[in-house]
Amino acid sequence: MGKTILVVDDSASVRQVVSIALKGAGYDVLVGTDGKDALAKLDGRRVHLIISDVNMPNMDGIQFVTEAKKLAAYKFTPIIMLTTESQEDKKRQAQAAGAKAWVTKPFQPEQMLAAVSKLIAP
Amino acid sequence: MAELLWILLGLAVGGGAGFSLGRRRTAGGPAPGPAAGDPHLHSVSRLTGSLAPVWSAQIVSSRTQMETAVGTLTERFGEIVENLDTVLASSAGALDEGGAGTFDRSRERLGGVVGTLDDALATKRQTVAELRTLLAFNDELAHMSGEVTAIAAQTNLLALNASIEAARIGRAGAAFGVVADEVRQLADRALGTSERMAEKVGRVESTISALLSHAEQTAEHENEAVAGANAEVQAVLDDLQTVVSGFRNSSADLERAAVGIRGDISDSLVNLQFQDRVCQVLEHLQASIDRLPVVVSDAAERARTDAPPIDPDAVLGEMEASYTMAEEVDSHRSKSGATVRESEITFF
Repeated sequence: MGKTILVVDDSASVRQVVSIALKGAGYDVLVGTDGKDALAKLDGRRVHLIISDVNMPNMDGIQFVTEAKKLAAYKFTPIIMLTTESQEDKKRQAQAAGAKAWVTKPFQPEQMLAAVSKLIAP
Repeated sequence: MAELLWILLGLAVGGGAGFSLGRRRTAGGPAPGPAAGDPHLHSVSRLTGSLAPVWSAQIVSSRTQMETAVGTLTERFGEIVENLDTVLASSAGALDEGGAGTFDRSRERLGGVVGTLDDALATKRQTVAELRTLLAFNDELAHMSGEVTAIAAQTNLLALNASIEAARIGRAGAAFGVVADEVRQLADRALGTSERMAEKVGRVESTISALLSHAEQTAEHENEAVAGANAEVQAVLDDLQTVVSGFRNSSADLERAAVGIRGDISDSLVNLQFQDRVCQVLEHLQASIDRLPVVVSDAAERARTDAPPIDPDAVLGEMEASYTMAEEVDSHRSKSGATVRESEITFF
């Protein structure tokens, strides 16, 4: 059984692209459509890494990371922000919230997999 | 649409041809224009107030349609990729377990059947060999019977001579003559026994010969049957191997095609990321359009109250500050379409 990665994005196309790339590399994938949905999906499940968008309805990515890091089970779970945003202040906010990497869209699956494998062993 | 929007904004802030919204201008500014309540100002304000929701609704409608269509498309593509993965996995399993496994098992089972026939044939050959040995023993018995007959005949002849000699001697040879007669009778009995023995040996020989002939004929038929079975089994195995090879080749072709399709779909999905970016651009554009009536209204209010005119650069700066993507900023500044930037990865 592969390691589990939670993919959080309000864009269905991005969720699909990331999921297909990760599944092709042997990871199990959980998906959330926004921060609120993702928190509900976590629900104590074993998740090895989280990939989250920043700009989302209901609960944005920065707030989601902040909330996830408050949960003991995910305190040390590495988080990659996957976003169209390139603002430095947002990057700093994500870093302060506990994110480990910032990847800008549009991305190539190979780039994403390289970033993932740098944070967790395949 | 954006061009018209900014023309209207230009009209609203007093930079348009022949229109000025302020009653008083700062020194060096444009000539005083129509006062507050001016029908021109009123019409521009009304127009922007009416146009903005219409444009906004059109953008929302387009965005929603695009999101729905691209979302459905990516979902279907995702399902196709998953189905292809399932097909590829089961195809690989079938090749590993089904093709080679079935062929090998069939060969072993058919080989077992042919082996059983071979064993039966070997047993039959051994029986034939033993019958031949038995026939050889019977020949020896016939020869020995002949020797007994010869001995009995000679003994009979000897006893006859002894009787003649005993009779020639007279009374003195009477007892010897009795012995000679007894010997002759024994010789006769021995001769009779050997003749019966020869007859039995002859009948045994006939029986064994008949059995041997039958066994040899059967063995020959079985030999031909086993050879035929071997040839049939080999032909079946050859056919099966052809089928399995064909299956393997077509499976490999299908697998290559499926892998190619999967790759093409994955690449297409990568390109569909445009939807996320375009939606954000439209979202920001919609926010700007929604802001326009507020700006125009503010400009009108400033005109009415003789306040300084609004600062277009400040409005544009506020708009620029709302962008989240680098190419939005590039497009805003260059007033032309910007190239999408390559992905960047930053590790904290």
